[in-house]
Amino acid sequence: MILARSLSKAFGKHPVLADIDLTVQAGERLAILGLNGAGKTTLIRCFLGLIPFEGELEVAGVDVRSAGREARARLGYVPQRAPQFEGSLADVVAFFTTLRGASRDVAAARLEQFGLPLDEHGAKPLQALSGGMLQKVLLALALGDDVPLLLLDEPTANLDPRARREFLRVLSEVDRTTTVLLASHRLMDVEAVADRLVVLHDGHVMFDGSLPTLKRRIGAEATLWVRVTPAQRASADERLRSQFGADAVRANGTAVGIRGDAAVLGEVLHELRRAGISIEEFWTEAPSLHELLEGALGARSEAEA
Amino acid sequence: MIAGVAIWIRRELSVALEARWFVANLFIFLGGGLLLSAFGAGDAIGGYRGFAKAFTGLVHLALLFVPLMALIPAAAVIAGDRENGALEYFLAQPVSAGQVYAGKLGGVAAAMLLSLTVGFGAAGAVAVLRGVPAGLVATLFGFVVLLALVFVALGLAVSAAAPSRARATTIGIVGWLVLVVFGTLGLIVAFIRFGVPESTLVIWTFVNPIEAFRLGVMCAIDPDLSLLGPIGAAVVAQLGTTGAALLAAASLMAWTLGATLMGWWLFRRTQA
Repeated sequence: MILARSLSKAFGKHPVLADIDLTVQAGERLAILGLNGAGKTTLIRCFLGLIPFEGELEVAGVDVRSAGREARARLGYVPQRAPQFEGSLADVVAFFTTLRGASRDVAAARLEQFGLPLDEHGAKPLQALSGGMLQKVLLALALGDDVPLLLLDEPTANLDPRARREFLRVLSEVDRTTTVLLASHRLMDVEAVADRLVVLHDGHVMFDGSLPTLKRRIGAEATLWVRVTPAQRASADERLRSQFGADAVRANGTAVGIRGDAAVLGEVLHELRRAGISIEEFWTEAPSLHELLEGALGARSEAEA
Repeated sequence: MIAGVAIWIRRELSVALEARWFVANLFIFLGGGLLLSAFGAGDAIGGYRGFAKAFTGLVHLALLFVPLMALIPAAAVIAGDRENGALEYFLAQPVSAGQVYAGKLGGVAAAMLLSLTVGFGAAGAVAVLRGVPAGLVATLFGFVVLLALVFVALGLAVSAAAPSRARATTIGIVGWLVLVVFGTLGLIVAFIRFGVPESTLVIWTFVNPIEAFRLGVMCAIDPDLSLLGPIGAAVVAQLGTTGAALLAAASLMAWTLGATLMGWWLFRRTQA
């Protein structure tokens, strides 16, 4: 679906993408993960044929450099920030479906499926819709008449947690025949949508594989936080350090945290109960994006050495 | 290609018809034109002086408002889309950048021409009813359209390069002021204070679109161009009245074409 060879882009003397090789198969769910400035948006702008680039790039079987418009006809795009279009929702849907040569009925059906029936919301000015609603409108327009490829550039970046969860739910229901490429700097998005992960850092691909593989490779494990009564905190801390090793345990003043895989985390609760320590509350914390990126950088350095 | 551009023209036109600037243009052209035609042409039944007064009033209405009323909305079009993220989204659709640019130019121009047609059309009809020759009104309308197209194209060129709507509008207004100052006051100062040769001033008259418009329409009412003083006399001597009017029209068309090409180049350049 996407074939990039030695794809490079520089703005002036500042390189943003450096020799990117990337193959995305039809039907894949790929996440491009990276911090701000990693090159994610620039990569998507190359896929869209919006900026000139070095190297070779085919999208949906079309050479982007020579036939950008044809490539764009085969993909849908959802940007980070919903543009402020003039006109009502119905006007905007009519304009973009005409522009894309897509069926207005299909778009209306999708909007209904996303909880935005045109009968009810069609007359509303687009600017009156919430950020979450707008992103769902753009997703419905991007999907068109089942486009083969969907490009999403940090679509949840400006959404509140509830709208983000709702958008990711809707996105996860997109038909598997559509290839999805999602750029994000949020692990939550990646975990909800992608089965393959590409980590981009300073314009370079640092990792290409699944999220569990990356976590395994770099040892980035979840942390189980356990809150116990203040009187029992010292004994809980001591018990866990002796059982799982001092390196795995940390405390933040009100809770004790233990890093480990699912088996270890289950054992922690069992161990505390066995010691007669009553647990007030517990929760898990996924490894941070920074931890993953640092791990990916380390894994690449080791591989190169 | 043409169908692709037509979609954009329709959209820009429908957006413009609901915009405040379109309504403001319509009222200014309609109100101002009707007032001038109704009251200015009052003496026209008696002869030349009356309709000359009405006609000159319409010319000055056009000179004052048409460039500004064309420039400001045009300058906001692309810069506004860029500012609110719509431009990139538009270009991410299966369209060419040329279609988007041509469609926006066509849409703003169509809205502008519509407001001019209603405003100056009604004023022109009243003027004709009050005795102003229809040919004269048609000439004025033709030159007003050419002037509006120049400033729509210039506004869009500014919009193509400006990062924000506010910056584009500011640049547009400053540009308009420069043309007016160098057009009218500049000519007077250059001639009186610095003794710039007539031939240089004649060239500048045709180079500046506002002066070219003024000269073009004055050819219709004042074949000797005596109202333009020594410059008018020099123009008539060198080109004749018809030649001067044709050259003025050609100058306005060249400005429109040049500004469109420049805007397109800037638009492509800012995309990279």
